[in-house]
Amino acid sequence: MAMLKTVLANLLQPSRTRAPADMPPVPQTYRGALVHDAGRCTACGTCAFVCAPKAISFTQVPGISVSWHFFIGQCSFCGLCEQNCPTHAISLETAVPGVMNNAAGDGLRLESIIALKPCTRCGAAHVPLPESAMGSQWSEEEKGYCPECRRWAASAKLRSAFIPAETATPAASPALEGAGHD
Amino acid sequence: MSILSRVVAIARRKSPWICRLNAGSCNGCDIEITPLLSPRYDAEQLGIELHGTPKHADIVLISGTLTHRSRKAILDIYDQVPSPKAVVALGSCPASGNVFAGSPTVLNESLDTIVPVDVWVPGCPPRPQAILDGIARAAKLLEEGATRSQLARSLQGQQAQPQPQPAQPDLTQPELARCEQGRP
Ligand code: SF4
Ligand code: SF4
Ligand code: SF4
Repeated sequence: MAMLKTVLANLLQPSRTRAPADMPPVPQTYRGALVHDAGRCTACGTCAFVCAPKAISFTQVPGISVSWHFFIGQCSFCGLCEQNCPTHAISLETAVPGVMNNAAGDGLRLESIIALKPCTRCGAAHVPLPESAMGSQWSEEEKGYCPECRRWAASAKLRSAFIPAETATPAASPALEGAGHD
Repeated sequence: MSILSRVVAIARRKSPWICRLNAGSCNGCDIEITPLLSPRYDAEQLGIELHGTPKHADIVLISGTLTHRSRKAILDIYDQVPSPKAVVALGSCPASGNVFAGSPTVLNESLDTIVPVDVWVPGCPPRPQAILDGIARAAKLLEEGATRSQLARSLQGQQAQPQPQPAQPDLTQPELARCEQGRP
């Protein structure tokens, strides 16, 4: 009798099994498909360093670009790259990575090309830092500096904080001194 | 295509029988196949049925890192599956070795170099639904005659070449010795 009740109660219910596309809710911290934002990446290499299965690698065209490569067939979805990326360029989305038809080549690989920019001061090609990483301590012009020129600009600022401008010799002024990197 | 072969092709999609093969997995992927066969994810809604013997299977699910020992076993079992057949690779391990790559007992190559793989299911381990999706896609390929083994056969048929017989395992030797032969 109890069975008959169950059968009658379930007769008009929709199926309770899950079709492939019917994803159950997952927590926000679920580690699914990996997404990389080339605009935030500084090609620092931290993600490749922390990745145990070596799913991330870099190639470069000297003076033009750096490419960030990811092979999903080698990723264990541990999330270490996301945790350690200083500019939050990598995120593991809650979406599940799709099934692939092709061989372990194309389709399983992601590539992001990070174009190098010339330094606004010395002209050296460098990976531009994302706006969020620059903060407010740099002026608009200084945001285009290469790492060496930023180092020089930072030390020039530090020096001018200790040595008042009127006591400094003209030769020590940043504009004249800045021909080289040091 | 005659009506009969059309019916056979549709039957292949509507009821793919699977056989699973653990090539050296950490068991993560195999644990995910279990809920797939339970009422929650219900693989039988797609006509999928798990079979213990490769001789009844249409689709082989291969999970895990490829090891020197399992290479021969994979070939043995793949040859026992009747044509047409499809191969679904589960997880990252068959594609690259994942975290085990570089170990002396692990083959540092993709499963593709051993058997023709039709569908790759990414994940470590993949979700049961992703595996279900992978099997459904392989079944669709079987219906269309587009799995890589089917394409290779039809290509051979066009060239009217005698089909190479799969290597017969030497059954006179004990199992372990046959596995050892596969080692470099
Ligand atoms: S993705 Fe993040 S950690 Fe990786 S190179 Fe780019 S900035 Fe560095
Ligand atoms: S999630 Fe883990 S395994 Fe995957 S790329 Fe990031 S660090 Fe590597
Ligand atoms: S892909 Fe991940 S879960 Fe699957 S066998 Fe390999 S290590 Fe285990």
